[in-house]
Amino acid sequence: MDRRRFLTWTAGGAVGATVAASISHFEPFLKKREAGATRVEVPTTCEMCVNKCSVIAVVENGVIHKLNPNPASPKSRGMLCARGNAGIQQVYEPARLKRPLIRAGERGEGKWRPATWDEAWDFTANKLLGVKDKYGPQGSLWSSTESFQETFFKNLGLSFGSPNIVRHPTLCLASVNLAYSATFGTVPAFDLANAKYVIMSGANRFESFITPDTMDLIESTTERKARLIYLDPRFTVTAAKADEWYPIKPGTDLAFVLAMLNVIIGESRHDKEFVNTYTVGFDKLIDHIKSFTPEWAEQETEIPAKHIVRIAREFSDAAPRAVYYAGRRSSWYREDFQTRRAQAILNAIVGSWDREGGMVPNGKIALGEYDFFPWDDPVAPRIDEIDKNFPMAAKGDGAYLKLRENVLAGAPYPVKAWMIHKQDPMNALPDQAKTIQMLQQMDFVGVIDVQMSDTAWYADVIFPESTYLERQDPVEAMSGIWPVVVYRQPVIKPLHDTKPTLEIVQGLAKRLNLSQYFDFTIEQWVNAQVKELPIEAPLEYLKKHGIYVPPDFPKYGTTLNSEHRFVTKSGKIEIFSDRLQEFGYDPLPLYHPPAQSPPGTLRLITGRKAYFTHANSTNNPWLNAFDPENRLWLNPATADSLGVADGQLVEAASTAGAVRLKVKVTQEIRPDCVFMLHGFGKRAKWQRLVAGVGACDAQLLETAWDKVSGNAALHETFVKVRKV
Amino acid sequence: MAHKKRYALVIDSKKCIDCKSCVVACRAENNVPLRYSRNWIDEEHRGEWPRLLAAYEPGQCQQCESPACVRVCPTGASYQRPDGIVAINETECVGCRYCIIACPYDARFFREDKGVVEKCDFCAKRVDRGEVPACVETCPSKVRVFGDFNDPNGPVRRLLESRRYYTKKPEAGTGPQIYYLL
Repeated sequence: MDRRRFLTWTAGGAVGATVAASISHFEPFLKKREAGATRVEVPTTCEMCVNKCSVIAVVENGVIHKLNPNPASPKSRGMLCARGNAGIQQVYEPARLKRPLIRAGERGEGKWRPATWDEAWDFTANKLLGVKDKYGPQGSLWSSTESFQETFFKNLGLSFGSPNIVRHPTLCLASVNLAYSATFGTVPAFDLANAKYVIMSGANRFESFITPDTMDLIESTTERKARLIYLDPRFTVTAAKADEWYPIKPGTDLAFVLAMLNVIIGESRHDKEFVNTYTVGFDKLIDHIKSFTPEWAEQETEIPAKHIVRIAREFSDAAPRAVYYAGRRSSWYREDFQTRRAQAILNAIVGSWDREGGMVPNGKIALGEYDFFPWDDPVAPRIDEIDKNFPMAAKGDGAYLKLRENVLAGAPYPVKAWMIHKQDPMNALPDQAKTIQMLQQMDFVGVIDVQMSDTAWYADVIFPESTYLERQDPVEAMSGIWPVVVYRQPVIKPLHDTKPTLEIVQGLAKRLNLSQYFDFTIEQWVNAQVKELPIEAPLEYLKKHGIYVPPDFPKYGTTLNSEHRFVTKSGKIEIFSDRLQEFGYDPLPLYHPPAQSPPGTLRLITGRKAYFTHANSTNNPWLNAFDPENRLWLNPATADSLGVADGQLVEAASTAGAVRLKVKVTQEIRPDCVFMLHGFGKRAKWQRLVAGVGACDAQLLETAWDKVSGNAALHETFVKVRKV
Repeated sequence: MAHKKRYALVIDSKKCIDCKSCVVACRAENNVPLRYSRNWIDEEHRGEWPRLLAAYEPGQCQQCESPACVRVCPTGASYQRPDGIVAINETECVGCRYCIIACPYDARFFREDKGVVEKCDFCAKRVDRGEVPACVETCPSKVRVFGDFNDPNGPVRRLLESRRYYTKKPEAGTGPQIYYLL
């Protein structure tokens, strides 16, 4: 049944087309319910994305009936998104991982035999010890993405002696983090609830949720409390809701920011007192930005100079309630770090620091720590040689793409075992062909996950983790303007033969003779974490409420006194950075134009829908129904020149690979770009709704990274599109 | 002073970001199989690059004051509660589907698996427990405001007194109780 109809536009008659909803024929798991059911409500924490929203699970007769938002959370602001609501499907998914599996065919062939836990542990420990004997502990690689039990997995890798822990930041926000750290000595939050002027480059906040930013920005924008200026080559939902949208030429955001600096400093609109008291290097900036005029920026960005001038004036007038929002996934271009640095500097010189409506240093709540037995630090250097390649980067997280290059080259040493915790490098990393090569050159690949990801599909052993609604997790303190402590407790017993990560790790630790480092229970760990919270009976409190909200936030102005020392080399906010200069980077952001599309090619850009989390929820039937197949967005002018029509099959090819998918002809993208949703065209057949459906962007994206942070640069790929 | 309750919904469509939270929340709360939906989000896209507009608008049963569906129902399965909620008594429904034809808003569907007609009932079970409908509660941008139209100090009336609004197809004469803010 097609549920979508035309709107009645209040301004006049309706024109334009609706998109026909394709509705999947899959019948969801039907919950059996009877009258007089027992009904309990259990507060817990969502794990459908990284926001950790507070949830109240309604459980009837032992079956999860509904996940409701917990209104007590100042982070999730009493909401639960489509993914959060669809969390039920992760539990009752018929094709989820239900027992340990050992590969029975070739890698990627999808042939498995069920195994007992002892078998899976023995097999894995044996392989890991074999690699250790032959190549040393550094021959093993441990990769993971942020989750509450990630620490146990990481600690297993470290206690095993491997320096090679690689996490998600260089596929995500490493360039933002590094740019703000280099400037302010910390990564601040943005007070969108109180800002009056917000500029956003591409951080499509209305389709890529961050709490509480998304909700605060909707409220501010639609209630006309804030003006939103949005730059994006694509007309997203955020563009539709913004006060002004500029389809900026991709990769030129830095030119826009530099021109804003030029106007604000040229017209002496910066906050002189703030600049004098809290920053260093402003004098060097004055000369630096002189040539970056709005007229120059217009040539680069295609945003008219008069608008750049006006926006710069409005921005400085609204300061300190004005922010150039940093965004999250900042893995776009090779110059990302400098773009983010320039935004940070712009925010600083108008004094939007540590004040209501500006950037605010994150409030933090300290948790206790369980004292586990310490291990010796790994001896070998990291395989990605991060000290040499990215000397300013966060060492512990690694640099994923450089790491893959070095593993493939076998230099500086061979890496032959890969343990992966709830991460899907097959989709998360660009250039899938290389990821497959990397998997194939391993002597052993082990995966811990809740579902059969494309990466699990290539594993030798799969350990099934209990879903977030079936397990007890460590407590998590979330920093922010409104910091909170969130609690995740099981709302039902595990449905299948699955285990939480800690128990999976302990089983391996025992066989690797590392038990002394994991000699505790989850309860002991949690008790140690919560015992110093300033509340009576903290554990009982968290079990009952699911969240602890400290009373004394938000706090503004804690750093605004001349005594305050910022965690930078100079102790001040660094507009000019000596450290950057020492390492051979531009100490002030200098504009390097982005690579231009070779004739006959289009720039591939990536992005989100609010109901999908990266590549991992496209197979959730309740979410998949909204977009059952991804298509390649083409502007009508581009489609005409290629001779393709809406719905026709095309081949898109880059130097990394080629894919085939259908075209969506839409006005909502620049004529020089193409866009496709992430998480389709999967290889794992168990992901039945998206296996071989649509196409996988990771097969097209080429390997490129930001020079300073090592962050993947996902918008540096040009594709040729042809009708097939 | 006690008054008779009359539940109504105010929808501020300009806050809607098409995130589908309401659609999934309804599906879970009311056990609606995937091929059906009790609520939905209409969307419209207009203009030519780069002068573009897009708008999103949530839709569902309009909980009419004089519901056409109730009038045509031969068995009394479709009925109106004293608090105004238009509901369906599944055990009385014979699946004749007159109501589907009568509804000016296309808000009803026939469930092949159960042989009955279904639609939004403002999550009556939740409302009876003192909660708001699932779509109202879960929304990240709080597009919907639910309450008693007859409560002069309630959120519904306060909004309607301070903002301009319209109802859908008032010419159908069914007195829809979902108010869309302009």
